[in-house]
Amino acid sequence: MKISHSWLRKYVDFKLTPQQMVDGLTMLGLEVESFEDLAKKYDRFVVGEVVERAKHPNADRLTLCKVNTGKEIQEIVCGAPNVAAGQKVAVALVGATIPHDQHDPEGNPFVLGRATIRGIQSNGMICSAFELGLGEDASGITVLDPDAKPGTPLSAYLGQTDIIYEIGITPNRADCLSHIGVAREVGLLSGRKVRMPGVKLKESKVASSKHATIVLEDKHGCPRYSARILRNVKIQPSPKWLQDLLTSVGVRPINNVVDVTNYVLMETGHPLHAFDYDKLSGHTIVVKRAQEGTRFTTLDGKARTLNGETLMICDAERPVAVAGVMGGGNSEISDATTNVLIESAYFDPRSIRKTSKLLGLSTEASYRFERGADIGITAYAVDRAAGMIQELTGAEVLKGVLDAYPRRRKPASVRLRVSRTNQILGTSLSQNEIKGLLSRLEFRSAAVGRDSLTVRIPTFRVDCSQEIDLIEEVARVHGYNDIETKTLSSIDFSRAVFSDRAETDIRNYCSNAGFNEMVANSLQDEATAALAGLPTVKMLNPVSIDMSTMRASLIPGALQIVRHNRNHGNKHLRLFELGKVYSVGEAGSADPLEQFHEEDRLLIVMSGKPVTAGTGVTPRETDILDLKGEVEALLSKVCLDKYRFIYYDTRSALTDSTISIEINGVEAGFLGRVKGELARKFDIDEHVFVCELTLEGISKGMEGERKYVQLPKFPSVTRDLAFVVDVAVTQLSLEQAIRESGKPLLASVILFDEYSDEKLGAGKKSLAYALEFQSPDHTLNDREIDQVIGRVVEAARTKCGAVLRG
Amino acid sequence: MLETIEQTRQQFLSELSQADSLEKLEQVRISYLARSGKIPALFEGLKSVSAAEKPILGKSLNELRGFAQAQFDAKKADLEHTAKPKAASLDLTLPGRPRPVGTKHPVMQTMEEMKRIFVSMGFSVAYGPEIESDYYNFGALNFPPDHPARDMQDTFFVSKDVLLRTHTSPVQIRVMEKQKPPVRVIMPGRVYRNEAVSARSLVMFHQIEGLYVDKGVTFSQLKGTLVSFAKQFYGSSLKYRFRPSFFPFTEPSAEMDITCYICSGKGCRVCKHSGWLEIVGSGMVHPNVLKNVGYDPEKYTGFAFGFGVERPTILRLAIDDIRLLYENDVRFLKQF
Repeated sequence: MKISHSWLRKYVDFKLTPQQMVDGLTMLGLEVESFEDLAKKYDRFVVGEVVERAKHPNADRLTLCKVNTGKEIQEIVCGAPNVAAGQKVAVALVGATIPHDQHDPEGNPFVLGRATIRGIQSNGMICSAFELGLGEDASGITVLDPDAKPGTPLSAYLGQTDIIYEIGITPNRADCLSHIGVAREVGLLSGRKVRMPGVKLKESKVASSKHATIVLEDKHGCPRYSARILRNVKIQPSPKWLQDLLTSVGVRPINNVVDVTNYVLMETGHPLHAFDYDKLSGHTIVVKRAQEGTRFTTLDGKARTLNGETLMICDAERPVAVAGVMGGGNSEISDATTNVLIESAYFDPRSIRKTSKLLGLSTEASYRFERGADIGITAYAVDRAAGMIQELTGAEVLKGVLDAYPRRRKPASVRLRVSRTNQILGTSLSQNEIKGLLSRLEFRSAAVGRDSLTVRIPTFRVDCSQEIDLIEEVARVHGYNDIETKTLSSIDFSRAVFSDRAETDIRNYCSNAGFNEMVANSLQDEATAALAGLPTVKMLNPVSIDMSTMRASLIPGALQIVRHNRNHGNKHLRLFELGKVYSVGEAGSADPLEQFHEEDRLLIVMSGKPVTAGTGVTPRETDILDLKGEVEALLSKVCLDKYRFIYYDTRSALTDSTISIEINGVEAGFLGRVKGELARKFDIDEHVFVCELTLEGISKGMEGERKYVQLPKFPSVTRDLAFVVDVAVTQLSLEQAIRESGKPLLASVILFDEYSDEKLGAGKKSLAYALEFQSPDHTLNDREIDQVIGRVVEAARTKCGAVLRG
Repeated sequence: MLETIEQTRQQFLSELSQADSLEKLEQVRISYLARSGKIPALFEGLKSVSAAEKPILGKSLNELRGFAQAQFDAKKADLEHTAKPKAASLDLTLPGRPRPVGTKHPVMQTMEEMKRIFVSMGFSVAYGPEIESDYYNFGALNFPPDHPARDMQDTFFVSKDVLLRTHTSPVQIRVMEKQKPPVRVIMPGRVYRNEAVSARSLVMFHQIEGLYVDKGVTFSQLKGTLVSFAKQFYGSSLKYRFRPSFFPFTEPSAEMDITCYICSGKGCRVCKHSGWLEIVGSGMVHPNVLKNVGYDPEKYTGFAFGFGVERPTILRLAIDDIRLLYENDVRFLKQF
């Protein structure tokens, strides 16, 4: 919220520079996000007088103005349609920072230079209200008072010499949503006492109780309702000082009565509302819940439908305001108003919050009531407003505050233990020190025994109701930075520290293996998410249709990324991602979360060329065996031999040429080539190979220890065998036949060549293997090896129809 | 005479060492070893010495000639080798055989570094679901129903009570429900906010939550832990400050700021001209939160904190648009 430096000085004497204010308040938890020195904001802006207006010689829509800026006459090119000779205008001189650029979509500021516009030099700029940051009007220049003096600095003309702070008030500090509230914190900083402004009020002899009645039907929603009646009020614009003050903190001036209620709001933080007394039927105020479905037109002219929970202010016949949120058009202050009833009530925060949510309407009033207003100051606030209106208009203030307050609330008392305070903060504060710190916040406390204090909480501190709240206040006043910074010397390392080894190991492996890690959005458009062919998790309130659904597979999102990269000329891709997929099952049990499933997965993507051109490198396209090789290497590295590829019954919604992957006998994912029609949906006309595995599967495979295997003591012998088989015979079946029949001396089988050509004959292929033989207890001789090879050749022939090639 | 031989030897060596090309080397050969060179000239001089001296000087001269020839041959071989490769087919300036170079995503690099530091301080790593219940995301964390604090969270809802977590804090509750104190964990993960995507904000981003609950855990230790982390992560010379803040699930709550490392505290666009960068929200675990998980708040105290991951990443790498992180353009990914 905006806080004015000069306004604060009405309540507390302090000598702090703006920077000291920024640092000091921030360190008390009132984060000053920025401050604006208004005098500096309009540096190099002056009042000017348009002496002459002529057409720009080279442009139809531009004018060339001679402007008296006090010391000299400047030629300025102007594009506004409303500029005219004799006008007093706001002129930005060269070097001025224009608060808003009219031609920038975000309205960012810019520094005005000496510009040549269509051949004519322009020595300044005549500004619009928008450009000056004084309003939204960008249609033409803003015209100043005729008696403004050329050359006057614009800040002086505008009366803007104040410093305005923008403070981010956390939701707990409702008490700081006002100048008095912030002044209390400034008092804390500067060690000065805060003065509450006095009420100057002359009551007439007419008792207000004879002229209005207040009925609290809903005492829970409205525990206190105070009001004052004023007669013979003359509605007119407020004096300039009041208008300027409100404008400086972002409040639009309306008329004297409304402006005073807003002034008191900004001063005390207590929201007030002014009714046209004569429009209140029966001169009665009834606070009650609305009838379900009631239609009501608020001050902003919008008709709204209320529900049975909406707290309303009604007169004898009808609703006149949505309590604590906004008044109604039927009872608002108009120029014809002469008698006024000012409401100063306290409403239940939860009720106001519900209403504000229901109506989608947040106002200065609702914002404060939701966070908790001060029930103790309703009468004071209404007196303050009545006094000011009387001072401005000479109105008659009827005698007495109408104050419906059936159950007076006592200020809360909270017990605070010294030991507990030190236990939480790690300090060693004494009872007296704590008492002293609290007293600086207007918290009075009394010692109870040696370890406790009974602390009276002022009614404006609605955030303090428990011991821990007071401990925070003690820490705040003591100063967070004055609490010692201790390291955890007491940490006990006897418990095992669990880290996420699987994810880290896989990330290390994949990045070292030449893959680039991507992180894709887990929110997708519905159609993309649906490609996985699984029930998806959808948002009730998506931010956009592009991000309405959670991904059920990592593949579709990766295809979007492949497309993005291809569109930017990156055709050779080796990518991986570690991320979650999400799905939804049947609803049923009491736990609403049970139907949702999340699973961590690894995705590997290859497309384009596996290696790009280089010496001795034959460029070729990636094929499925490239991906299979990468996956084998990864799994051999992290899962040893606990994985298996499955080649039959493998179907996937997203890929063809699919190979399923089992780890520890459990399905853990698959690899394959993205289906052509799917790739084309993403405008990809090249093969994309993907492997998706569950992290759980991989981590299960990583469990267990690696044990040393004896190194062979006797040399091995290698023999090559080439077989011709039917094309339909798989390499795997032949390899298995060889392995089985070669036991136990056959130590390894490696395929080193595979081809088919005319010489072999149609429908035939050649498979050549290197067979390594080894015995654990002796050096093998040729006869032993020949025997094994005989068995192998025979098995290959009978099991696979393989013929040994000469 | 012996002295002259020694001088010639020194001169020869000096000139030889200065010969850095085959042409210059040839000059050296001509001036010492060729027929009209200095060494043959010395042999000429033998004729005029006494018979007694002759054998000694002759031997020295022969040694000098052999030495000079050997040095010359070695140097020549050396220069020839440098000048051109042995075989024209082996051009060593050819590029090496290309190997693909992989990278970790910059956000994950930051995450790993943060995890590494906390694990070294004795924190374990725990995870929780992203699709979360209203209870874990808000209720158990002391957000009263209808409390304005929920205005701070723009939440995606999946159903009435199910949402995408807006912070990693619900994992605190899940960990404490499963485990008795002492609890010392960090909880990294994705979180979601229903906000417009811009150069500065994303719908999906990452946080690392931390929690330490035990007997005797204090605010003072919270400060110590975060300072110790920050010194490892941002450098040991950093300046910092703690200031009061508000989170429903901690009290007292604090934000930790460090001197803006972009402008060294002078004030810049990144730190909004304050000279400070907010790096972590934290506080003492609210007694209500401890009660919600069945811990006795009189017996146990604790602190919690939550780091953003994207912001330190883009600041460290000088990335000016946060959206680049998740476009996954390989030209971008390969830079890190």
